[in-house]
Amino acid sequence: MRLAPGSVGWLLRHELRLAWFNAAGGKAADGRRRPGNLALGLAAAGCIAMHALGWFAVRQLAGVPGDDPRILLAVSALLVVATTFMLSSAIKACVVVMFERSDLDLLLSSHLPSRSIFTVRLLGVSAGTAALYLFLLAPFAHAGLLQGQWRWLGIYPGVIGLAVLCSCGAMLLTLALVRILGARRTRVVAQIVGALAGALLVIASQLHALTSRQTQERIRDTVLGLVQTEGAADNLLWLPARAMLGEPLPVLLLGALAAGMFVLTSWRTHRFFARGLQLAASTPSIASGKASSTPARPRFGRTLFRTVVIKEWRLIVRDPQLLSQVMLQILFLLPLFFLIFKRADVQVQAIGAGLALLCSSLTGALAWIALSAEDAPDLLRVSPASQPVIRRAKLAAAMLPVLGLVAVPLLWLTARMPTAGLVACLVVCGAVSGAGLVVFWCGRPGVRSNFKGRGKGGMVMNILELFNGLAWGAFGWLLSAATLGPLGPMQTFAAAGAAFLAIAVPGIARMLRYKPM
Amino acid sequence: MDDQLPALRLVGLRKHFGRPAVDGLDLLVRRGEFYALLGPNGAGKTTTLRLVTGLLAPDAGTIEVMGVDMTAAPAAAKAKLAYLPDEPMLYGKLKPFEYLEFVAGLWGVAAQDAEPRARELLDWLDLSQHAHELTEGFSRGMKQKLALAGALIHDPELLILDEPLTGLDAAAARQVKDLLLAHVAKGGTVILTTHILEVAERLAHRIGIIRQGRLIAEGTLAQLRERTQGGSLEDMFLHLMAAP
Repeated sequence: MRLAPGSVGWLLRHELRLAWFNAAGGKAADGRRRPGNLALGLAAAGCIAMHALGWFAVRQLAGVPGDDPRILLAVSALLVVATTFMLSSAIKACVVVMFERSDLDLLLSSHLPSRSIFTVRLLGVSAGTAALYLFLLAPFAHAGLLQGQWRWLGIYPGVIGLAVLCSCGAMLLTLALVRILGARRTRVVAQIVGALAGALLVIASQLHALTSRQTQERIRDTVLGLVQTEGAADNLLWLPARAMLGEPLPVLLLGALAAGMFVLTSWRTHRFFARGLQLAASTPSIASGKASSTPARPRFGRTLFRTVVIKEWRLIVRDPQLLSQVMLQILFLLPLFFLIFKRADVQVQAIGAGLALLCSSLTGALAWIALSAEDAPDLLRVSPASQPVIRRAKLAAAMLPVLGLVAVPLLWLTARMPTAGLVACLVVCGAVSGAGLVVFWCGRPGVRSNFKGRGKGGMVMNILELFNGLAWGAFGWLLSAATLGPLGPMQTFAAAGAAFLAIAVPGIARMLRYKPM
Repeated sequence: MDDQLPALRLVGLRKHFGRPAVDGLDLLVRRGEFYALLGPNGAGKTTTLRLVTGLLAPDAGTIEVMGVDMTAAPAAAKAKLAYLPDEPMLYGKLKPFEYLEFVAGLWGVAAQDAEPRARELLDWLDLSQHAHELTEGFSRGMKQKLALAGALIHDPELLILDEPLTGLDAAAARQVKDLLLAHVAKGGTVILTTHILEVAERLAHRIGIIRQGRLIAEGTLAQLRERTQGGSLEDMFLHLMAAP
């Protein structure tokens, strides 16, 4: 079918083609710009496996009534989880559409109406948001169709409707942020909001574990009340779940809501979309203008080590986008800090393991920025300065902030529970050193703007970083447990194994160290 | 004794990237000389400069900077030179003063020398009023000038520049040229590559023309004219490039 150039369909085909090319995650080494055969094979295998799972699940659930409040509660809980993740990915996709897609200048400078361009972009965001969930859930709908259980077909309108609603919400939020905060801050704030939305449930579950027993019981009673009261099945809260379970009226309502929201968003805000893009395009000059208000306070004559450390810290602190991505990991530390400072019945094993894992991850991220993502490597190499000193300074620049961050809670813990505190100090120092050394030896050169994709550049570094965190985490858990009482033979063996792995990881990193050509 | 040593001496320099990029290059640049290295794209100019600055290791041959062997004593050799590539080596999130502070730290310049020199260079290059801004918002010309200030912060004996005037407006280009001439007038040595033949014609004491990694002609403008019976440097350059 030939599509008229410039039509919505024609633009949509362009969008889909780009999405297909980009599915490879960038240009492959052989120059190909599409997913590789291995990735396609794995996706096909996953699809077949999901269909098999769907077939058995649908058959098992054949007799379960769709209006049972317990089923509605379970489906609603799943929808809440899916919605937070959908919202998170939709916000990230909107940031890409607004700030990172270079083809928009070309499209907007053409005679094509901005409404068509915006409509197609919003469709693209919606399709991208729905894709993963359809991949996972559509096999259940197909199995339902083949087994004559039509209600499972509700998955399609349910997932697509939710994805459209999340995408429209994300786009409106992003555009509102551009209006309120300006393009430069929006890019950072939207990324943080997106990450927070994705992490909401993890954080909520941790906070729930930290609440008092009475509060937990109150929450449980409220939820049970929703399920057990008279006429509970008719509660409007179940409407999305009912749509997902294929009830005609809720499906129609969800479909109408999604379509209405899409039309309103694309028809009413397309001009502001174009304006937002213009603002986004002028972001660098805005950034430079703001920075001029703070005078530089240079101090000449520092040692080489300190000069490099301070330069690295300046570069990290002044990059809000990068910093926000790194600092989001600290978000997961907050419940742990709460445990340390507030709770009387401190769960020392969780603290030891949690701090080790998080400090390892944080150090790995900072070390990659300082060591691997050097902006001017030739400047360093052309200088007479000692390269080992420079690299050690960069490593210190990555490790010191992490140690500084956890120093106060660790001191507090050590003052209250000396043995557990010292164990936590040991595993944190070990995890930080291990993660730093892994990047020191195995990190491959990269660019800061590719922070999120840094893993693609070095499989060895990634695997060793993961093992470093896990080994110190397990060692921290078991050693902390040993401060409460003697370990059993299996636990002692596991602790020895974890300690061996924790020590072996930097050794392996050194053996497999990256040697530039 | 030291004054008799050349600023740069290359003997039989070779570097292959699948094919020869620099192919047995011999070159001698005297102290206090302004030397222009010309050649078409892919002739091996940038590779030569990267070899000289220690960014690449040669497959064969020797490189001496102010009499110091780059392979045997790289730190001592690098201390005497500065390199300015065509893409300025800057940090977008640093301010000019901080950048100069960092570069001075790399070359171990004492605080009492570095700070006044940094102020002097920023003044000279009209960057003082932007001293407290992040360099990421700078224009191409401003970035190039700041990178040049960084290259000069340790007062190098040998200044090596790869296409330093590309993308600069007339005023910025004039400032850069004046600074380079001042450096030579003070006894420093400058080696630059350029595609702007007029720059080589007007500034350089001697010109070397490189093709396929080999030096095919060298001399003062008058010597080259004599050799090729040409008029302008452009005519001579095209004549040499066309020769088999």
